[in-house]
Amino acid sequence: MRLILVGFGNLGRGLGITLAEKQEFLKKRQGLVPKVVAIVDETGALVNDDGIPSAKFVAMARSGKKVEKLAGAKKGEIVHDTIEKVAADVVLELTPTNIKTGEPGLGHIKTAMKSNKHVITSNKGPLVVAFKELDALAKSQGVEFRYSASVGGAIPVIELARKLLAGNEVQEIKGVLNGTTNYILTRMGEEGAPFDMVLKEAQELGMAEKDPSLDIDGFDTAAKLVILTNSLLAINAKLKDVKIAGIRKITPEAIKLARDAGQAIKLVGAAKKGMLEVSPKMVPLGQPLAVSGSLNAVTLKLDLAREISITGFGAGPKETSSSLLGDLIDLHRTLGC
Amino acid sequence: MRVKIVMELRDVPGQLTKAIEPVARLGGNIQGIMHQRERKTPLGRIPVMLVFEIKDKKTLEKLLAELKKNGIAVTQIGESIRGVKRTTILIGHIIHTDIRDTIDRLNGIPGVRVSDMSLAMSELGKDSSARMTITADSEGSSNLAIKKLRQISEQKDLLLITSLEGEE
Repeated sequence: MRLILVGFGNLGRGLGITLAEKQEFLKKRQGLVPKVVAIVDETGALVNDDGIPSAKFVAMARSGKKVEKLAGAKKGEIVHDTIEKVAADVVLELTPTNIKTGEPGLGHIKTAMKSNKHVITSNKGPLVVAFKELDALAKSQGVEFRYSASVGGAIPVIELARKLLAGNEVQEIKGVLNGTTNYILTRMGEEGAPFDMVLKEAQELGMAEKDPSLDIDGFDTAAKLVILTNSLLAINAKLKDVKIAGIRKITPEAIKLARDAGQAIKLVGAAKKGMLEVSPKMVPLGQPLAVSGSLNAVTLKLDLAREISITGFGAGPKETSSSLLGDLIDLHRTLGC
Repeated sequence: MRVKIVMELRDVPGQLTKAIEPVARLGGNIQGIMHQRERKTPLGRIPVMLVFEIKDKKTLEKLLAELKKNGIAVTQIGESIRGVKRTTILIGHIIHTDIRDTIDRLNGIPGVRVSDMSLAMSELGKDSSARMTITADSEGSSNLAIKKLRQISEQKDLLLITSLEGEE
């Protein structure tokens, strides 16, 4: 299976290393022999028609260099050109998320689909901005489109609902979908410390971004909720349809008052027909959504199975690789390439 | 206190009067009577569920004794109905935005009362936090109360956190 990696940041490098480390496993257990024939980012492209040797790939990934600095790379803004011209089966779109414009990922995905390549992405931006359009484009081009890694990191919630629970109608989705806010709320509860102090600690530990507003004001959760709503509830939802409240106002006293009543405060994304909301909610302790630390959890309300909940790590290169690899193996099984 | 009892009455005229007369005489307020004809017993008795408000446990015991004297079989006794409880958290300038007014407006909804409230102050001038329990006599009035509290919170710039428990 010939792959083009678009984006060579934490996720791209993480996936590259995982592919190399699991080479034998993938071949023996899944019959999958992935060949990375191109790595491309906004600075340049490295193309090797025979597949970049895995040892070389790992060394490049560990170097942390931009693509233009890699030996043998071509410099320049040649992402679209590379996606179009290099012969490949699958394009892995792993560039950073922009939930307002969806770019640059949106353009990359369209180019890939138009050049008849299957697409796997972890990028929320294009899905939030243009889910329906991309879904339709994939269908009209006859290509596969997978995005398990865009929601919940390692948690295979989309594939769980679409494949294993395929006989069910999903009626409602509730989830703790952002590890950073969940970590902050957990620490505030444990330490009795105010929001600002815990946020600073989270930033120092690399758990929160320098500009943390995407996470703490609820936009990241809302973006994931929009993707889940589109893919599992078949509702054409946009970010502007979500009523969003973040966690800035939460006090340690409120967390304690909730806990005394047997509840935890979590930032919950909830979606059903006619309702899309991200807001802090009390969750009874012991319920599946009352997960601590940076864990994520999703509960699906279904017509037959009633309720199914799933918990796991929602972020990190290795954890996200689990979903990307899952999609890759799924394509391998579906397409036989 | 609110009480629910189930008694078995003979299917002849005048039985129900025998059952409810003592309730009224002891100052009870009947809120519901339901005949469960489909669950007629093998001896042909009809289970009847009676819901009423009565002063206290002592009066309830007196009532049960009177019913027994009247030959009425009580099969389920004293199961109290606790109503629909919803716990909420409020964050913001709770006192300065007139907490009394917030509570009064909720208590003004028929069948709704604020049954518990805990307040935690933080540093001067900063947001305080409160946990408020709202008890309602039905799901409908409970939802009305939450809707009202949502409006009040918006007006007073308070953050309202509701529980996933009991949410529809």
